[in-house]
Amino acid sequence: MSNIFIWGRKNLYPTTGQGIISIAIVSLVGLVLWNFLPWSIFNAVWVADNSDVCRQAGGACWAFIWEKLYFILFGFYPAEERWRAWLVLALFLGGILYSGRSKSWTLSLIVVWLGLVVSMMLLLNGTLLGLPTVETSYWGGLVLTIILAMTGIIFSYPFGVLLALGRANQRLPVIRGICVSIIEIIRGVPFISLLFMASLMLPLFLPSGFVIPKLVRAIVAVIIFSGCYLAETVRGGLAAVSRGQYEAAQSLGLSYWKTMGLVILPQALSKVIQPTVGSFISLFIDTTLVVIISMYDLLGAARAAASDSAWLGFAREAYVFLALIYFAFCYTLSKYSRRLEKDILTKKVH
Amino acid sequence: MDKKAYIIKIEQLNKWFDDFHVLIDINLNVSSGEILVICGPSGSGKSTLIRCMNNLEVYQKGSLIVDGIYVGDNLKDIQKIRTEVGMVFQHFNLFPHLTVLDNLTLGPRWTKNIPLKEAKDMAMHYLEKVKIPEKFNSYPGQLSGGQQQRVAIARSLCMRPKIILFDEPTSALDPEMVKEVLDVMIDLAKEGMTMLVVSHEMGFAKQVAHRVMFMDQGQIIEQNRPEEFFNNPKEERTKLFLSQII
Amino acid sequence: MKKYISILLSFSILIVSGVLSADTLDTVKSRGKVRCGVNTALAGFSAPDSQGKWVGIDVDVCRAVATAIFNDPKKVEFVALSAQQRFTALQSGEIDLLSRNTTLTLQREVGLGLLFADVIYYDGQGFLVTKKSGIKSAKQLNRRTVCVQPGTTTELNLADFARNNKINLKPVVIEKFSDSVNAYIAGRCDAYTTDASGLAAIRTTVKDPDAHIILPEIISKEPLAPAVRQGDDKWYNIVNWTIRALVTAEELGIDSANVARIARSSNITQNAKRLLDSELAGQIGLTRSFAYNVISKIGNYGEIFEKNIGVNSPLKLERGLNNLWTNGGLQYAPPFR
Repeated sequence: MSNIFIWGRKNLYPTTGQGIISIAIVSLVGLVLWNFLPWSIFNAVWVADNSDVCRQAGGACWAFIWEKLYFILFGFYPAEERWRAWLVLALFLGGILYSGRSKSWTLSLIVVWLGLVVSMMLLLNGTLLGLPTVETSYWGGLVLTIILAMTGIIFSYPFGVLLALGRANQRLPVIRGICVSIIEIIRGVPFISLLFMASLMLPLFLPSGFVIPKLVRAIVAVIIFSGCYLAETVRGGLAAVSRGQYEAAQSLGLSYWKTMGLVILPQALSKVIQPTVGSFISLFIDTTLVVIISMYDLLGAARAAASDSAWLGFAREAYVFLALIYFAFCYTLSKYSRRLEKDILTKKVH
Repeated sequence: MDKKAYIIKIEQLNKWFDDFHVLIDINLNVSSGEILVICGPSGSGKSTLIRCMNNLEVYQKGSLIVDGIYVGDNLKDIQKIRTEVGMVFQHFNLFPHLTVLDNLTLGPRWTKNIPLKEAKDMAMHYLEKVKIPEKFNSYPGQLSGGQQQRVAIARSLCMRPKIILFDEPTSALDPEMVKEVLDVMIDLAKEGMTMLVVSHEMGFAKQVAHRVMFMDQGQIIEQNRPEEFFNNPKEERTKLFLSQII
Repeated sequence: MKKYISILLSFSILIVSGVLSADTLDTVKSRGKVRCGVNTALAGFSAPDSQGKWVGIDVDVCRAVATAIFNDPKKVEFVALSAQQRFTALQSGEIDLLSRNTTLTLQREVGLGLLFADVIYYDGQGFLVTKKSGIKSAKQLNRRTVCVQPGTTTELNLADFARNNKINLKPVVIEKFSDSVNAYIAGRCDAYTTDASGLAAIRTTVKDPDAHIILPEIISKEPLAPAVRQGDDKWYNIVNWTIRALVTAEELGIDSANVARIARSSNITQNAKRLLDSELAGQIGLTRSFAYNVISKIGNYGEIFEKNIGVNSPLKLERGLNNLWTNGGLQYAPPFR
């Protein structure tokens, strides 16, 4: 008991001024919990056959989440093929665990993830594996969000690196000009307008009946948009590599691509890990915008779940649940990036 | 001397940085196996001159031929020259993300397609030569300045160059580390390597150089055998310069 | 910017609609299913249930059309659409039929090249009040506060209503839908106004739905109807007569439970026979028994209404304007002669 007291005194009340701030913060947190806990825990309904039970209780209706769990995780994916979607989630978690070891951090990690995302898509679609075909329009929920975010990250990264290299290239003014225009134009428009372009304008210019799946349109929009932001991040990294490194590589007789690939990019990219992961996190969050082109990603599925007339009125529960999922992902990502950066820094005591 | 024996031939070379005329009508021939020390005040163009030789700097007028290859716009030729001309920089410029061994094997593996095993053996051979074989698995950031510069020398040796250019190799070092680097360079000189050294290390020049050259304001002012150069400088500017650095 | 985009859009629609193949029925038959545009999620109209199955009155219209063509309600591919996407999806040929709580207006027929079938649901702006307040009619709202979302026609309709009836309403304008609803529930407004179907949905979400009532006055016209592209009369007829079959069946007292018995019965009425065994259906590309199939597999209009949005559904909507003309409503289908 006295230990707790000493700890509290030392950490919360070292001086009067800081003590007052501590008290203010603690009471604010207390107030929020005081109001949140009864709703979320004490009066909450955990199991219910129908929504009436929940309405009577007045607290959170977690039974709603349970009822809608499959829809929130998998969207319209057919129930009898759901094991494939489960397998995709398992593959994803496996990939996360694999990447978590700092030993795995090499360029080959991109190849591993590329393999993962391709096999996930093959598995979900099924045709090539001899399973019943499930069209992309039936993919949804968490699985769709993962597919969107993963393909977005994996393809926008190299795309962004190429754009950044093009922009930094002094010798080829035409390529440089093209890259600068792409980057500046895309960065000058909001992501929503790109999505609208991809979903509204594109079909009008294609022959009738020639339908590019919405998923593909959205992924392309994500890659282009996120690639341009990454390009600027990477450019910062390139600028941070000293001229001497270019000269040393060139004086060994290395060509442009070998100089970049072996010497410059490894350094440039590792200098900007934090902002890069920041871009990935915002890409992950931005994928929720596909709701406006009527895709049922995590957010879209949760919203649709809250519009079922048998379970109307539990949007709050859905959003709390989503917030937890998104937080878990983004927190893991940023934690991971910090560890990565630490590992790389400790290798080079300067 | 037969003209063909010159491994570097420079005629009427001129270079500008925008309006600034850095190199003015440079004429210089270097024989194979020669050790040439170039000195001069900062801004005299001495670094720029040797950086022209592997095309890290581009000149505008005149001609520059290295080992029979004209240094111009041809990318292939330039890459060929670069594999034959090593360079050691003032700030070492080791690759910080690679271990010492990887720094050494990078060039041979990726420009000459030498198998990894062979490249490693060669790297270890040259690391022993610069007297730090035990550091092969360290990262550059874990080494002292002197050690880094010795690794940098080993890195250019791994390319088995015909010429090595030294761009003020000791001027970024703490004084106590200068000797270990110079010792390595002296060993190299004794083995007959062609060396162009931009440096103010007059002790080194006296000991091993075949020729010492003084540059000022983009021009070659005076060049001579070391004993003549130091004991009997002809030009006023050379005398003034020598009096300042010795 | 918005204007610019819409000009661009309508321009591209004009180009594209010219080249679309004329025969939608052939396309649908060769594809094996109807592509039907529905709302991403609107309770009672179209929303996925817990198993991911589409439910709602708009959804059942899609299934009815599929049944009329294929005798199989499963032969529909639902394409969820946002309000912005719905018209381009139809014009670009991505969908064959738009059944997405869309108000029939002149502008949409002449400006966008759409053709609306018969009205599925007569919606209109109404008022939600608490029982406690004792308000029984919208005319009693004089000097009362009304919560409304800004920038919608809802706000304009409210002003018109007040002016026409010479009453003094105090609108409380709140940007976000949920905030606006919460303001009403918290008692900041005496009434909440939006489309009647929306009011019903709101009422199901409150703690005690029976404490709130929807006032009888409807102050605007929002006839919701399915739409197809202009220029394919046969396809238009298929959609339209499928809907008319639903309404006619209810009028004749034929539902999914008794349709088989009535069809087999020896003393079937002429009207019922014309509906269930239509000699003319072949001329629009359907089979004689298309209405029989639709009613036995989907139900009649009344059944669809009750199941999805009627008084016994969670939305608890009265038939009101959507009652048959014989019961004082507006649902009236031309005869199958």
